[in-house]
Amino acid sequence: MFIKRQLAIVVMISMGFLALAGQFINSESLREFTDKDAPQWYMIIAGFTAFLGCLNLLQLHTTNVIRKQKNWQYSIFTLLGFLLMIFFGFIYNGSPADLGPHLKNEYSAFYWMYNYVYLPLSSTMFALLAFFVASASYRAFRIRNFEATLLLISGVLLMLGRVPIGALIPWWTVIVIYISILFALFASKIKNKKVFFFSYLGVNIFIIVLGFFLNWNINSPDFLSIPLIQEWIMAVPATAGSRAIMIGIALGVVAQSFRIITGRERSILGD
Amino acid sequence: MKRININKDFILFFGLPVFLILIYFINPSQLFVTGNETSFIAIFISCLTFEFFIRKAKSGENFYMRPIPAMQAMEEAVGRATEMGSSVLFVPGISGLDEIDTISGVIILGHVAGMVAEYEADLHVPCCVPIVMEAAKESCKEAYLKKGRPDLYNDSKIHYVTDDQFAYAAGVNGIMLREKPAAVFYQGKFYAESLLLAETGSSVGAIQIAGTGSSSQIPFFVTACDYVLIGEEFYAASAYLSGSPEMIGSIKGQDYVKLLCIIFIGLVVLLSFFNFVNITQLDISSFFKINIIN
Repeated sequence: MFIKRQLAIVVMISMGFLALAGQFINSESLREFTDKDAPQWYMIIAGFTAFLGCLNLLQLHTTNVIRKQKNWQYSIFTLLGFLLMIFFGFIYNGSPADLGPHLKNEYSAFYWMYNYVYLPLSSTMFALLAFFVASASYRAFRIRNFEATLLLISGVLLMLGRVPIGALIPWWTVIVIYISILFALFASKIKNKKVFFFSYLGVNIFIIVLGFFLNWNINSPDFLSIPLIQEWIMAVPATAGSRAIMIGIALGVVAQSFRIITGRERSILGD
Repeated sequence: MKRININKDFILFFGLPVFLILIYFINPSQLFVTGNETSFIAIFISCLTFEFFIRKAKSGENFYMRPIPAMQAMEEAVGRATEMGSSVLFVPGISGLDEIDTISGVIILGHVAGMVAEYEADLHVPCCVPIVMEAAKESCKEAYLKKGRPDLYNDSKIHYVTDDQFAYAAGVNGIMLREKPAAVFYQGKFYAESLLLAETGSSVGAIQIAGTGSSSQIPFFVTACDYVLIGEEFYAASAYLSGSPEMIGSIKGQDYVKLLCIIFIGLVVLLSFFNFVNITQLDISSFFKINIIN
């Protein structure tokens, strides 16, 4: 009980203070400990737990197969993959290289399995992300409220600004987009559809004609260039929002670390 | 007696900080690392603020905690899983215990495991890192024990899947599609697999509660999950769920440090404006640049 509770807490607190002191106290040995020794200790412990992980995997799936538990068929594939890679890694070589360096030899069975089975499967999972992004974007961009509308507008502008066609969009099209957004926001307030249509048309024509008089077709202002709008969205509102979150995260990390190294947060030890 | 306490507090919250900061600046015999003064002051003042509010909370002062929907929904999600006869899936992220996010995730897991034990539901925790699996097992075992239901704890439900990011995502997605859990928790450090997991969870109709310190993954979780613990909410979750006064005091302290940050930001903006209109020529922003990584 002493090892599980008190000793664990003492180690947790002392390590926390040592790591913090390493940033401020000018001691070579302390710096050496926090920068090199402590991470190495962690790696050694993590290395030992890798065996536990492998044992856990084998035990779980072997039990699944032996007891024919629900969906036990999938466990056969897991076990097969696991044992096959062990076989190619430790027993069968298949290349002129020695056992060990053969892992990086392109003629070895292990290398073949890695290149032609593991990598394509991993890439497939990564490629699936594109479809998930599409479905998630569709859900996020559905116009339900004012915030979702803002998200849709900035999303469309960003997408257009990031592709080459965005730079080719003329200034008067951007004006039409702006006016359309403005009228979409006030659409519910104007009941008469005729009034709405003609005022929309009138405002569009007026601003475009005004633009020609102001020589916007030769030298258009920045707010009418989609790539510049995209840059502004990324540099100003997006950065402001993400920095606010980053400040919150940093404060949260400091508070959580303080709770842990002062021994107040002991849930990690199951206390 | 009260006078002694006031003096003690005065020494701790005023005398000690002033003394230590002075010592740091005087730096006798090159005892301290030079160039880290701003970081030292910032961390020191933050820690003192937390300590001050923790002591206040311990002395019996009640603090108002604004309700956070994601935390309130945790019990609701576990209850839903119990009613539907489905399991609760907890995903602790793909990083090791050297990440504070993973530690926070495992701490939250302890609270969720307690709720699961209370409701007699099933808990499933697939892990990406073996050391996290061991910590998760320990945390859950203790939570079940604390709720008086060690008989419900199933060791095989907290298991290792793989170390590889996308293989782990495939494994967890497979579990979701086969078991159809009614509640899914994503609490920890996530990278590109966050959307793969959250979208699959959404497709099986699970109530999803996410929490991460990875700012780049928060938008994906916001899109695909029902509730998200954003930024510092994620780190405050364990304190909020524990309900203990000293933990809540630290959250209050955190809020005051945030207020201090807002004041400093306002000050920098104001001085920048004055510099712009040539009223002053003081570049205060350079003072706030963090120099801890050198």
